Amino acid sequence: MSDKQRLFGPRRLFLAIALPIALLGGGATYAQNALDVRTVVQKEQVEVGDDGETTTTLVSAERVLPGDTVVYTITFTNTGDAPADNVVVTNPIDDSLTYVEGSAFGAGMRVEFSADSGQSFAARDAVMVTESGVERAAEAEDVTHVRWTLEGSLDAGATGVARFSATVD
Amino acid sequence: MMLTGSVRSRTPLSVCATLLMLPFTAAGQGVPAGTVIENTATVSYDYAGTAAQVATNDASFIVAERLDVVVTRQGAAVSVEAGDTNRALLFTVTNTGNGSEAFGLVLDSALPGDDFDPVPAATPLYFDTDGSGDLNAGDVAYQPGVNDPVLAPDASVDVLVVNDIPGDVVNAALGRSELIATAVTGSGTPGAAFPGAGDGGGIAVVGTSGASAGEVGEYLVADVEIAFIKTQSVADPSGGSEPVSGATITYTISVEVLSPGVVSTAVVRDPVPQYATFAPGSIVLNGAPLTDTADTDAGEFDDAVAPTVVVRLGDLTMADGIQTVEFSVTID
Repeated sequence: MSDKQRLFGPRRLFLAIALPIALLGGGATYAQNALDVRTVVQKEQVEVGDDGETTTTLVSAERVLPGDTVVYTITFTNTGDAPADNVVVTNPIDDSLTYVEGSAFGAGMRVEFSADSGQSFAARDAVMVTESGVERAAEAEDVTHVRWTLEGSLDAGATGVARFSATVD
Repeated sequence: MMLTGSVRSRTPLSVCATLLMLPFTAAGQGVPAGTVIENTATVSYDYAGTAAQVATNDASFIVAERLDVVVTRQGAAVSVEAGDTNRALLFTVTNTGNGSEAFGLVLDSALPGDDFDPVPAATPLYFDTDGSGDLNAGDVAYQPGVNDPVLAPDASVDVLVVNDIPGDVVNAALGRSELIATAVTGSGTPGAAFPGAGDGGGIAVVGTSGASAGEVGEYLVADVEIAFIKTQSVADPSGGSEPVSGATITYTISVEVLSPGVVSTAVVRDPVPQYATFAPGSIVLNGAPLTDTADTDAGEFDDAVAPTVVVRLGDLTMADGIQTVEFSVTID
């Protein structure tokens, strides 16, 4: 199995998604809709069991209070019949949320951050902000955007996932 | 490649009448209940030699409403005489939840552990409409279910509890009266939920206060004139003075006999507010620490029936000067 197959999931995704489209569309695919993208928000629920062990589960975001943590999962699938290149996912972080340090990840993806409304991106420890003329390292509250850049291409039928967490202020 | 995305927050329009609301400060009850937090990611890519960009669906949720309330007593024990009528105790009800909430008010003057029961007046609860701290003609009577105070997050309202003093009370007797405020949306076990009842149509969740809180005020019969002053200072975890969870309230009770005569076996008994926990080792009498246990010193923390700080001052006269009792509690 190649690296890409391991990264982007089993081949049955290709069968489930790409094949029907190929049948309906006769294989003709437009660049505008080659990627099917979806975002889901869930609440992180931490429960402490009788044995003192904590269990974290993701539940629907129906009961989110200030201080709670929500998890955003962005899924993208190449529904075309050719690889997609330079796949970049960008997600702004709402003013009412604070990024959870270390939470952003995506298999085979480089994760970068912005503290200037998405004008510039850098690795987390290289993001700086200037406050009253003084430059300092960006705090979690300063992070305005998360960006994932896929290393390599997204094969036809393959699916990628980007995820991050934030707390409600 | 240029990347864009969109995120918006929507705070619902306030639906409450700002009836009798005091100015309030944003003290960190969090994002207001009913706020819709939207999130749309953007994915850009190259396909078949063409650059493309696609936005995801909007993954939004509504911030739920936490139902919480704190009642605090304003000012000292009220010095009264036997047979007094319409004597007011001033309380403040503060919405410590994150939504706009109505609160039902109830008083209880039949509390155990005091020397007499004050008698609630025919109309026992008033808003301190004129801000005087005492009952006046301009103060609006509270009618349960009719003008329940609606408070924004962090907003508070001053409430007067009005009692008559029985004619047969003796000097230095203490009578207590409690004001209890309860969220109209719902109350009970912390974590209990009321789907659809929160601001903006979200869920409402009972907070750590149980969405109901009470505080006790005191009448002190003083034929021998006694100055009895109770003050409180609040220190919150972030260095401010807001009565938030985790904040420490330090009470200072000063007792002084101001006229000739003896107040015999004077005892300060102060119940710990129900939304708070006694801070162990915090009892101080005239600058000297007292142990929490019932032993040979003058005071203790008595948790047998209800959590109460007890300090025995003995027989007091003018010659004893000011007796100062201090203790601390932590807001749950």
